Amino acid sequence: MTSRKTLAALCTALLALTGAAQAQLHDPATPIAVASKVALRGEANNIAVREMRLVRKNDILTVQADLANMGRSDRTVFYRFKWLDSVGNQVGDGESWKQLTVLGLGQQTVKSVAPTGAAVDLRLEMNVETR
Amino acid sequence: MNRNTLRSALTLAIAAGTLTLAGCQNLSSPVIRFDRQVNYGDAKGVELVTNEFGSTDLQMIAEKMTGSLLETGIFQGRPTVTISTVKNKTSEYIDTTNVMSSIQTALTKSGKVRFVRSINQMQQGVDELQRQNQSGLYKQGTTAKVGQMTAAKYQLEGELTSIVKQNNSTKDVYYKFTLQLFDVQEGTVEWQDEKEIRKTSTR
Repeated sequence: MTSRKTLAALCTALLALTGAAQAQLHDPATPIAVASKVALRGEANNIAVREMRLVRKNDILTVQADLANMGRSDRTVFYRFKWLDSVGNQVGDGESWKQLTVLGLGQQTVKSVAPTGAAVDLRLEMNVETR
Repeated sequence: MNRNTLRSALTLAIAAGTLTLAGCQNLSSPVIRFDRQVNYGDAKGVELVTNEFGSTDLQMIAEKMTGSLLETGIFQGRPTVTISTVKNKTSEYIDTTNVMSSIQTALTKSGKVRFVRSINQMQQGVDELQRQNQSGLYKQGTTAKVGQMTAAKYQLEGELTSIVKQNNSTKDVYYKFTLQLFDVQEGTVEWQDEKEIRKTSTR
């Protein structure tokens, strides 16, 4: 009986560990509301999206996002914004990927402008390299 | 029983460990490098093959300029615009019309502006007008009338410059693309922006 309990506990722990390893975890410094707009591939590697400001200027949505490196090591971020219309379809052909170095404990602001007035929402697609 | 339990636990541990390792495997970034001889890649990926002017530079310039123009609101009322030349002041051979073409495509798709024929495209327009009006092949009333073209209110002009520095191990290239929007009648600069790009390669 005891061994069965031990086995169950072991399995639960291992599955939890597997799940944690595969989840795309945002840095704790990324607010939940901002995290919902970020499509992160893989680990955040200490890069937090501290703030995201969305403003409509002359019928066109513009966004600025602050990427902060919470660690001391430099990080290479690959990112692009994906603009969505009112039903969630992508607006335009999609932006090109950009490469950005965020120095240790540094912060960089990235900016984008929607391609048409049809864009009402966005996702910040990104992945972070430790190299 | 005890041995069976241990064996089951070991099997599960190996399976979970494999999954964990799969989860920890390094993710690839959207970059273009020579990993295989031939590959279809992402046309929007970050091109890092050499530090000469490349597709990513062109795309970044076009995106920055289009975004900057759209957010200023200068295109209220869908004005007419024509594109002029982009001077290439770098030491590289770069087809700078490509940059203007990408900007024109993005602006046209935004629906905020109307483009009229540029100087380079004018001859084809004149030829077609002459064919319709002077060949005698077309029905009266279906031909496009001469003298009805809409002139451009604004003209886009650009230039690309670069500063290259290198030593034994490092090559640093700094590009600056400047775009200006002129009011044709007034001759005034109504909008201007620039995009800076730094590319550094090491041996």
